[in-house]
Amino acid sequence: MHVDLHPRYADDAAATEASGLISACVHCGFCLATCPTYLDSGDERDSPRGRIYLLKQLLEAGEAGPATRRHLDRCLTCRSCETTCPSGMQYGKLLDIGRGMIETEAPRPFLERAWRRALRLVFSRPALFAMVLRPGQWLRPLLPPALARKIPAPQTVGPRPDRQHARRMLVLEGCVQGAATPATNAAATRLLDSLGISLVAAPRAGCCGAVNYHLGAHQQGLDNMRANIDAWWPEIEAGAEAIVSSATGCGSMIADYGKLLASDPAYADKAERIAQLHKDIAQVIATEGLAKLKLAPDARKIAVHVPCSQQHALGQGTAVTDILQGLGFQLAVTRDDHLCCGSAGTYSILQRERSERLRRNKLAALETDKPALIVTANVGCQLHLGEDSSVPVRHWVEFLDEVAHGGR
Amino acid sequence: MADLLAHLQAHVREAAANASPVAIRAGNTKSHLVGRYCHARPLDVGDHRGVIDYQPDELVISARAGTPLPELESVLAEHNQVLPFEPPRYGGRATLGGTLACNLSGPARPWLGSVRDAVLGVQLINGEAQVLNVGGKVMKNVAGYDVSRLQAGALGTLGVITQIHLKVLPRAQATQTLAYEMTASQALETMCSRAREPRPLTGACWVNNRLFLRLAGAASAVRHTASQWGGEQLDDEIWSQLREMSHPFFAGKAPLWRLSTAPNAPHCEGVEQCIDWGGAQRWLRGEARSLDLPRGAHLSLFAGGDRDTEVRGALDPVQQRLQQRLKKSFDPAGIFNPGRLYSWM
Amino acid sequence: MNAPPAFSKQALASALRAILPAECLVEDKESQRPFECDGLSLYRELPLLVALPETVEQVQAIMQCCHRLQVPVVARGSGTGLCAGAMPHPEGVLLGLSKLNAIMEIDPQARTARVQPGVTNLSISEAVAPHGLYYGPDPSSQIACSIGGNVAENSGGVHCLKYGLTVHNLLSVEMITAQGERVELGSSGLDSPGYDLMALVTGSEGLLGVVTAVTVKLLPLPEVARVVMAGFDSVRAAGDAVGAVIAAGIIPAGLEMMDALAVQAAEDFAHAGYPRDAQAVLLCELDGTEQEVDQHIAAVERIFTEGGATTLRVSASDAERALLWKGRKSAFPAVGRMSPDYYCMDGTIPRSQVSHVLEEISRLSTKYQLRCANVFHAGDGNLHPLIMFDGGCAEQVARAEQFGAEILELSVAVGGCITGEHGVGLEKLAQMESQFSIAELHQFEDIKHAFDPALTLNPGKGIPILKRCQEYRALPRKHQHG
Repeated sequence: MHVDLHPRYADDAAATEASGLISACVHCGFCLATCPTYLDSGDERDSPRGRIYLLKQLLEAGEAGPATRRHLDRCLTCRSCETTCPSGMQYGKLLDIGRGMIETEAPRPFLERAWRRALRLVFSRPALFAMVLRPGQWLRPLLPPALARKIPAPQTVGPRPDRQHARRMLVLEGCVQGAATPATNAAATRLLDSLGISLVAAPRAGCCGAVNYHLGAHQQGLDNMRANIDAWWPEIEAGAEAIVSSATGCGSMIADYGKLLASDPAYADKAERIAQLHKDIAQVIATEGLAKLKLAPDARKIAVHVPCSQQHALGQGTAVTDILQGLGFQLAVTRDDHLCCGSAGTYSILQRERSERLRRNKLAALETDKPALIVTANVGCQLHLGEDSSVPVRHWVEFLDEVAHGGR
Repeated sequence: MADLLAHLQAHVREAAANASPVAIRAGNTKSHLVGRYCHARPLDVGDHRGVIDYQPDELVISARAGTPLPELESVLAEHNQVLPFEPPRYGGRATLGGTLACNLSGPARPWLGSVRDAVLGVQLINGEAQVLNVGGKVMKNVAGYDVSRLQAGALGTLGVITQIHLKVLPRAQATQTLAYEMTASQALETMCSRAREPRPLTGACWVNNRLFLRLAGAASAVRHTASQWGGEQLDDEIWSQLREMSHPFFAGKAPLWRLSTAPNAPHCEGVEQCIDWGGAQRWLRGEARSLDLPRGAHLSLFAGGDRDTEVRGALDPVQQRLQQRLKKSFDPAGIFNPGRLYSWM
Repeated sequence: MNAPPAFSKQALASALRAILPAECLVEDKESQRPFECDGLSLYRELPLLVALPETVEQVQAIMQCCHRLQVPVVARGSGTGLCAGAMPHPEGVLLGLSKLNAIMEIDPQARTARVQPGVTNLSISEAVAPHGLYYGPDPSSQIACSIGGNVAENSGGVHCLKYGLTVHNLLSVEMITAQGERVELGSSGLDSPGYDLMALVTGSEGLLGVVTAVTVKLLPLPEVARVVMAGFDSVRAAGDAVGAVIAAGIIPAGLEMMDALAVQAAEDFAHAGYPRDAQAVLLCELDGTEQEVDQHIAAVERIFTEGGATTLRVSASDAERALLWKGRKSAFPAVGRMSPDYYCMDGTIPRSQVSHVLEEISRLSTKYQLRCANVFHAGDGNLHPLIMFDGGCAEQVARAEQFGAEILELSVAVGGCITGEHGVGLEKLAQMESQFSIAELHQFEDIKHAFDPALTLNPGKGIPILKRCQEYRALPRKHQHG
């Protein structure tokens, strides 16, 4: 579709880029079929095509109001539509630009702005998030069940091995993951240790930038990225082989560093290199050889929930099932694997009702074959599904580590 | 073989001008079947006959409405093709136009479709004596309303059908009939279950406590399925008996009712029955109006009985209004086959 | 129809507010914008209001309200149509039926399913698959297109040579008339008393009523289905091979052709392994029992080889078969990778004319200086040339439209029709006159009047009425039977 860019945006790089992206859309509507919010509402405005059209209107009219913002807000950014789109529309990229523009074109009421700011602040700072989480965890037994469910129980983490291998990889600790599910990276560290690789964290690395960036706070998001690059760079120069993430939501952000910082001369090259060095933990384990793990699979039936960031953004939809199947685990039959669970970063907080409906659908789709356990690859999905699931929901790395080392 | 289009058009023009109704006929094989009696001056289409165009590679044949079915079928047979809907020939006099107007199809209907499903286009003279060409000679055509299929079962009340374009199919490489002794209820159950299997089933009927299944298609598939399904292997006579209504079940003067229903609707006891179309068409002899019929089913008096009253079920008021208005849009003066479909039409 | 509306938008809006929840009535222009076009975005118009009912009762109430106020109503399903059939009317209500998306009943023994109009074509097959059944017609947009829209357009797909169009696979439809009455057309049996109004309504492009429920026939999933893919170094050779398959007495489940450009686009998206160097690729699906498929695959392989196939591959698994179809079914939008916009034609021609018509299209492509990829339902003669253009350039748009018009007229000239499965909509109105005489168009108009005397259902689409309205009314004919 052609966009008649409004003269106001003639010199606006973001707007120009957005209108270029829209030209890939042919308005065929295939994306409606795999968009969780459209399937939920049956409303064109809550479909990728509808949102593209709203943004087209913004770019052509030179203005937009709360109506456009409301429908952009309802997008999960799961990017399921991109997997479906035959004409190669980069929807996620367009939506991020659009969200950035709408914050200035249709400013939010003060309270809403403050609330979103608070969320960005808490979720993008590991230390702050931990400060908020800990008291909640202590008080958990005293809270009403509805609230208590929202707070993940403290995990048994187990020790991280102190062996120093010649091969070193950097791990992203993550903000929510670091505090809420610290066992995941501990397990990843132990698994890679048994494969002869040291997994270490760079002390000054922080949030990957996704929370800020996807909420339209692009500058803050880019600053998070630059800070990580600065933290990782010396380690990379010292020979770290890869930047490993065990939360695919963060991983998909790191994989985009190169594109997002391409116009920053000071960081473009480094960002590109970082993006290339990024690996999801599943990629590392699959390449380093499953045989070396010497696992004895048990009889439990496992349902795999593939996070959107893993399948639609990273394009690694079968990574975890391949590993588990390769190791001989019994996988449960699931349906609608391409649909989002409703977690989607801060979505579960900002769009709670819809998020909970999506979770109900997802859990039904995961539990049809009566699995003993659900595993996933992203902390957001893990916590979100875990709140309401009838079976335990774990990171697949923790599960593997438990089978291999008994979880310690 | 003659083109009488201009002649027929002149007839219709005159009938319209004088508001003088006509009873359209060709082979005159069905005037006492399907619909009510029509008491009007006959308009004979029988001499407007002949195959106009036949492209075996396109699976399409075009013929004038008065073409007798055997003539059409022998042309097709030269290229090993058939009319998939197996219409009754009624002694060889039944014509293509009458077959479409009455929407008559044989035992293969649930699997290979009806004449309504095979028709691609028609030429029609409407009540204003205009010659209309609707539909086409190609497999797909969605331009304009589907006036061609609308003619199926309209009993000639919308116009004089003068030409028909049909989709045809290759003749099945092999066929095999299987027979089993069982009750009607068992037969209905079996028919529905067999029809859910991906097998080359093209006929399923029950008569005289016997279920008959017909397999037709690639020789290998027919052979293999026959060996799996068992049953007594017979020749295909039962199907032509059904198609031509020459089976002893259809003999005699007792009213013959036709029940169109969901195939899995329960068997209704009380009158002598023959079940065809895998359960979707049930022939009943005697007084059937008093039977407790399945929901959504339709009963019509196919042959015999009092054909001056309504022979098919009443329509709901909305449908009736739409049908009357539709009739008027084709035939404002009401000259075509008055009363044949319903007394009020 | 050209008279000013007899109602105010405010009066209409307040009447509809009494029927619909706030979220289901779209009143402001900003929110209405995404509804201004369907799959053919070349034609756009904002409606007065967009209504998104959640129940059939709401649909009926809206229809009654619009009947009372004489407001035009345009029904819309998923908005994937390619003829602007669901483009809104500026003085009317756009009635979106996508929220009516429940599968109400599946009857495996009767092989039927009762569904609401917003249910997507593919989801019917997915829902009935556990019973070993599927729904036959599979338009390429089946992932997203709704069954209500399929009924409105009498949609086809890649399997209709063997399994028919939508009209062949329906048992009954429930419809709300222009006057707001609820009526069931068709029945649970294969025949119904009186005229076959269901057949008439199928393909009527929302001009005769609004479909609110559909009972579809289901087919047993074939035991085996395999695809033979063959590349040819000329379109003519591929076309001849298609004829040879039919002549051999084989009716493939699907028989599709793509030309070189279409192959490029589809391969870029699907990575199905289509031969990029071929001038034409055929996909021929055979289904049935194992024995039958083996027998037919061998025959088709022989025919293609003798016909000069340069590459030949038979799918070895269902995944491979699905992948081979994925590229074909995505070929339209995949062409969007080559060009910002494309214009999809839908003429159907006698199969024997395919080489001639494709050569003509190639000549026209040079004449109009626009590229054209060709996707072809070779089995049933339905041709989809995809004319590539840039919607930002008005002059190119005009050229594309002229190019398209010439293709449609060519289709009629060789004995075919202007639309095989996409419908006339707004887009092909002008070409209706090349396919039909004035008398035929008048008959269509009379049918429309029989169902919708006030002409409020999807006015200005499907049948060229408005343009000749004045002239028509001046004629001393029957007509005043409304």
